[in-house]
Amino acid sequence: MKTAAVLALALLAALALHLAVSSDIAPSAMLALVAGAPAESHHDVLFVHAMAPRAAMAILVGAGLGLAGSLLQGVTRNRLVSPLTIGASSGAWFALLLASVLVPEAAARAGFAFAMAGALVAAGLALGIAGRNGFAGIPLVLAGMALHILFGALGTAVALLESDHVSDLFIWGAGDLTQSSWEPVRILAPQVALGLGLALLLAGRLTLMRIGAEAAAGRGLAVGVFTVLACLLALWMTASSIASVGIIGFVGLLAPNIARFLGARRVSAELLLAPAIGAIVLLLADTLAIAASRISRDIVVTGASAALIGAPALLLLASRRLHAGDHAPLPGVGARRPWRFPPVLLAAATGLLLAAAVFISPTEAGWRVAAPADLAVSLRWPRVLAALVAGAGMAVAGTILQRLLRNPLASPEILGISTGASLALVFAFVAFGVPLREAGPPVALAGSVGALVILILVAHRNRNAPAFVALAGIALAATLDSGLRFVLARGGEDATVLLGWLSGSLFHVRPEDAEFLAAAVLPLACLTWSLDRWLTLLGLGDAAAAGRGLPPGRARLVLLGITAMLTGLITAFVGPVAFVGLVAPHLAMLLGARRVREQVLLALLLGGALFVAADWLGRTALYPRQLPAGMIASVLGGIYLVALLARRRVLLPGRH
Amino acid sequence: MARAITALTLTFAAGTAAAVTITDSRGSQEFTEPPERVIPLEWSLIEQVIELGITPVAVADPEAYRTWVGAPVLPAEVADAGLRQEPNLERIAELDPDVILVADDQITMVPTLERIAPVLHFDTFSATHDNAEAARDTFLELARLFDREALAVEKLAERDARIAALAEAIKTRFEGDPPPVSIIRFADEARVRLYGANAMPVHALEALGLESGIDQPPTKWGLSTRKTEELAERTEGIVLHIEPFPQGEDLFDRPLWQAMPFVQEGRFGSLPPSWTYGGAMSIGYLAETIAEALLAWPR
Repeated sequence: MKTAAVLALALLAALALHLAVSSDIAPSAMLALVAGAPAESHHDVLFVHAMAPRAAMAILVGAGLGLAGSLLQGVTRNRLVSPLTIGASSGAWFALLLASVLVPEAAARAGFAFAMAGALVAAGLALGIAGRNGFAGIPLVLAGMALHILFGALGTAVALLESDHVSDLFIWGAGDLTQSSWEPVRILAPQVALGLGLALLLAGRLTLMRIGAEAAAGRGLAVGVFTVLACLLALWMTASSIASVGIIGFVGLLAPNIARFLGARRVSAELLLAPAIGAIVLLLADTLAIAASRISRDIVVTGASAALIGAPALLLLASRRLHAGDHAPLPGVGARRPWRFPPVLLAAATGLLLAAAVFISPTEAGWRVAAPADLAVSLRWPRVLAALVAGAGMAVAGTILQRLLRNPLASPEILGISTGASLALVFAFVAFGVPLREAGPPVALAGSVGALVILILVAHRNRNAPAFVALAGIALAATLDSGLRFVLARGGEDATVLLGWLSGSLFHVRPEDAEFLAAAVLPLACLTWSLDRWLTLLGLGDAAAAGRGLPPGRARLVLLGITAMLTGLITAFVGPVAFVGLVAPHLAMLLGARRVREQVLLALLLGGALFVAADWLGRTALYPRQLPAGMIASVLGGIYLVALLARRRVLLPGRH
Repeated sequence: MARAITALTLTFAAGTAAAVTITDSRGSQEFTEPPERVIPLEWSLIEQVIELGITPVAVADPEAYRTWVGAPVLPAEVADAGLRQEPNLERIAELDPDVILVADDQITMVPTLERIAPVLHFDTFSATHDNAEAARDTFLELARLFDREALAVEKLAERDARIAALAEAIKTRFEGDPPPVSIIRFADEARVRLYGANAMPVHALEALGLESGIDQPPTKWGLSTRKTEELAERTEGIVLHIEPFPQGEDLFDRPLWQAMPFVQEGRFGSLPPSWTYGGAMSIGYLAETIAEALLAWPR
């Protein structure tokens, strides 16, 4: 009761602060206007029709997201779950983006329907991939972050092809609470109220879920039906808030955690406190955004300021209690019978693919096989070589991370190492005007190493529990990702250039770049190959490694350093490469790679082949238009994830 | 000055096709004869090439050019060279151009493109120069390249004369004291783009002897993004929004909008869809559109 009173006061205080910062009229005038006095001055009208609805929108969206987060965390018993971390937010965002490009009128009229469909698909995929046993642990969040990245890449692709309204779409996508009437509030308010009511009806069953799904089923709860119902309710809240204001991350994740921290023991208490806290957090974040917009040239979006508040909190959360299962080493893919695929065959196939990529291409008059002396071949080989090396390098980096973390969903982009490199380059571009393609390796390396240092520091405090490194990495990736979104929205005029780069294009690779990249990646790959004993021992656990005379801390540092170097270098030359580092080591395992050396070799070949194929597809599919290889690789990676699910060949930890 | 240039051009034109030295953003290059097969890869350059009476062999993203830029009309036979950000090098090589024209951010492609054909790079939009002057310089330089200098000078003179006449008419219409004009474009009902210093519509305003009602420091495109509710405090004089704005019907009925001083005082109007990132001649088109709106302004 006391907590409730304090929260009510805090909500009022946050509201007062919000209105004081956003409006230019005196508090007494505000009260008079609220009491029904007619708006006389222009500022009065602004208060009544822009600022007041904005504050109301912040409360509603914050409450809706807080409720969604609380429901999702309750049903999965996972305190790191939120609309954002299971991919539902970006799914909804992507669906709306696609709709507004393909069927603009329907999107304007029925935005919510599209957002809901997107959120449903994304959350369904994340939950399906993780499997019921993975709900409570990291697998669900890893799957969600992978989907978050996939939808981000797809959204970038759409925006890239529809180049003219790019930055408008991104301002909206980054979460802007600006209002120009009460209409959106009138639409959202009854939904949030109804959602809250329905959630409270579910509170009893949610309490039952706390003892575990099996025990709950034992007491007569239809767990499956209930899970679906609770998720539907949470996604409804998510989709309606995204349809109104775009993606606001972190609120749905933070609010329930703060509620529990403040002592909300009972489910019903948490379901009431979390929305209130969500509203307070978003009001504060929005106040910050409004204040920053005053001094900035362009609008500062609320999604960005929410990330600024939420990100450190997320890192803190990640460093507190873990789910019991997360302390155990995560089982790998080994349990399944592999396909047994000889590396020689794979090498030959990769060679054939390379030859095809260099020599075969469409022309206006049909397909053509180029002679080696052709100008076309001399224009083509740098990008093909860069694709091969970049794909191979990311695959090696991914192999190291998956071995070290004993988690088949670990990869440089999911752990924020790629994002660190990208963000450093984008920051240099936006803040200092350094062209993206000229800032080059030093800046990108600084970014990836910086991300890695944060990762190691945070992880170190938790004795490097593998699950923990993964968590810290995800938090980092999410944080850096909102930084990128913010820059994209803010960059306005430069958004098209940024997007072109962010989609991972090989277009700008010069012959000397390709040679440099090859000369840098090859030794690092060899080094990894020669460090196979370290990887094997660390894969068995720190104790095992120390027992065999390997200092685990130092060895891990060297291996993570290799990952950062690979990622930074590759990002500097071809932009962010998503999914290759995730899929290639995984596929290598499927093809029968048992030992580290086998996996490094197979993953290297597969990663190279995958990226060469992606580049070739990008050059040929929409000829004469070219799509960036990174984007194609993301789509291929996404399809692979879905295929994994469809074939029930789910190799994630937790499902065993 | 114009006469001197014309005289100079005539001297050139009189001689046989002499070698010409063209200066782009990187230095000078010599062309022994006017190039015939031209591939411009940025829209502001496509426009200028067509204005000079040259039909390009291929351009970047012709479909989108037809949708967004429209005028001058791109002939149907022009081939597709891929996207502006990432043109198709092999397609370009196949078309065997005499010269490739690029602008602004495309500077990074120059070394690669130069392996196919001579490349000219122009800074068309930049925070560090006057975009209108740069457009004029680029237009004249391109005209020298194609040996069409007389045509370019004539077109620019026509444009300037037309703008001067319109400026005079506007002055008369507003009894010698025309108000400042603020040009905006809605992104959606809550967000709006403001055209400030160095934006092409503002250069058109200046050419018409008008003042922009939007005060913001010059940038590359001269644009800023703001909330609709801030329009009243950030604009002065007549406010013109560039169509299309499909959500306009919703916004314009609302109390928030109705309370805007420029709406209440009848200082709000619209401009037909216009391309605002064009070259030298498109400033003329913008000036015409703006003048039309102002001359028809109700008394």
